[in-house]
Amino acid sequence: MSVFMDLNIISSNDKNRLRSIVETAAHLGYSTVAINYVVEPQQKKQEIPKPQNVSDVLDKFPVVQGKSSPVKVLNRLTIIASDASHFRPTNEYKSFDLVAVYPKTEKLFHAACMTFDVDIICIAVAEKQPFHFKRAPVNGAIDRGVFFETCYAAAIRDTTMRRYTIANAISLMEVCKGKNIIVSSGAERPLELRGPYDIANLGLLFSLSEGDAKAAVSTNCRSVLLHGETRATASGVVYTTKKPKTPQKQEEESPISKKAKTELA
Amino acid sequence: MSPELEKCPRSLLVCEKSNFLNEKSQHDIHVSKHNFNYKISVLMPECGILPANISSVINSFSPYYLVRDLPVYELLEESFLESLVKKGNFNALSYNTKIDEDNSIALLSSGQLILSLDKDTYEQLGLEGRPSLYNHRKAMRFVVTLDLTDKSLTPGTKRYQRVLSSLKDRLPLRYDFFFTKYNTGADEDKTLHKLLSQYSYKEHKPAVSHHTLKEIPCPTLYPSDIQGKTLSCDPHHFLEWLGAVNLDISCENAADSFLSTYVCPEPQSSVSQALLCTVTGFISPENVFVLLQELRQYFDERRFTPWVSLTVHGFMDSGENFYNLVYFKNQDYWLHMATGAQDGCPP
Repeated sequence: MSVFMDLNIISSNDKNRLRSIVETAAHLGYSTVAINYVVEPQQKKQEIPKPQNVSDVLDKFPVVQGKSSPVKVLNRLTIIASDASHFRPTNEYKSFDLVAVYPKTEKLFHAACMTFDVDIICIAVAEKQPFHFKRAPVNGAIDRGVFFETCYAAAIRDTTMRRYTIANAISLMEVCKGKNIIVSSGAERPLELRGPYDIANLGLLFSLSEGDAKAAVSTNCRSVLLHGETRATASGVVYTTKKPKTPQKQEEESPISKKAKTELA
Repeated sequence: MSPELEKCPRSLLVCEKSNFLNEKSQHDIHVSKHNFNYKISVLMPECGILPANISSVINSFSPYYLVRDLPVYELLEESFLESLVKKGNFNALSYNTKIDEDNSIALLSSGQLILSLDKDTYEQLGLEGRPSLYNHRKAMRFVVTLDLTDKSLTPGTKRYQRVLSSLKDRLPLRYDFFFTKYNTGADEDKTLHKLLSQYSYKEHKPAVSHHTLKEIPCPTLYPSDIQGKTLSCDPHHFLEWLGAVNLDISCENAADSFLSTYVCPEPQSSVSQALLCTVTGFISPENVFVLLQELRQYFDERRFTPWVSLTVHGFMDSGENFYNLVYFKNQDYWLHMATGAQDGCPP
């Protein structure tokens, strides 16, 4: 079991609101949260927003309730894709810790599960699922280590959406058998957050087993973070970090020596 | 509705009936096994003020210390081991660490150091352990148990060096700790204070509170009927009522009250007063045992009430975390133990 995480807090321009959501999450017991920048590239050219530096948003990170360490805040990008051209992994994606995609059509869902370089695939919660989940792409995604996400804030806001959330989640669980699922809030206001144990119980409503439901808020979220970290590495094995620049005196440049020719005898 | 939804996570209430004078009675073993106690509450019906002997026992509960940012290897330090750990009667528990989220460290009075670690810490630390019983698909939680009284872990042996170097160099773990000791001599106190003075710590005494309840209905309990079939009330309802009394929840079930619909279980009788005494803090099991013995002598004088109840709560995130003893005049007792969904049945 690992720490509890909420990987979907909708970002907004209002810093105070964001701050209060993160403070509420820390108070409820979440050790890690991710601020989600949602992008819907309708036009041909849509800018990917640059994530705000986390320390700009919060000067002091609130301490998680029941522990002595402060809450960890990450940046996440979600692309709402209704066309294949919308998802183009550029360098801007690299500045986010997590990348998610919300496919609107069946073809895109298939492509996202099998080929796209994402960590999370979002499931519709505010509307009836336009397509059915097929076993082949879902199993392909599970093999690749991509996770499916269900948000519960819509269920708190409206009763009709509650039905859609539960129905879509149950149909997904039938196909994926409870593996590779995360449940996150999608909260726009602090009141839409719920405690981690409550969300683990909510997972029972989605026909997850008890262990799967708790993993959906803790262990699977940890796996998502690790998957996000490996996107910046070579096969998850080799990391590159920037070496800190040490101030050096200006030295005379030594003449560039010619490389000795190696004779292949 | 899907079949899984119809099954609720199970909870188990184990009720045991025995007599203190019975040689095979396991009450002392049970008390000593319940190592980390956070709160003790005693409910005495028909009692107005706390009897002097019980009050003096409670006031003499050992103090506990909260040490900030203590490295775990200090618990293995040689003089500390010799004086406090090996002599027994010393308990330590890491503070502000949740057992299902991060690493928790516990030192029992039997000399066992238990580290409950998450996967990353376990792999980095490199000590031998086994996967926890509470795992799901993949093992994410591991338990390392070190018996500090064992010969292989005496200072100087290779194994001791290895453990010490893991905790000191490979992965220095530092946590806030609760310490408590019981009946230690001056030497041990000196060693403890020498260790404590190197870090920031604060001494606390367990907080005691009394509350006299007037004119409340009390369930009737007969020692022979533990299941609540004829003479006593059902144990689930009894424990629920006991919890309501402890939390000061009204059990009148008045028609206009929306807050509480708890009722005192039948059969019941009305008592003019009852005393509720609560002790909160990090309490060692030896202290609990002394209180238990003292309560047994409560019935030596003529008393009106047929029963007295002692509830001991452990910490919230541990598995089986509370037990309840009900004493009767004839030295019979009932022991209720509650376990959660994942735990096995207590012996």
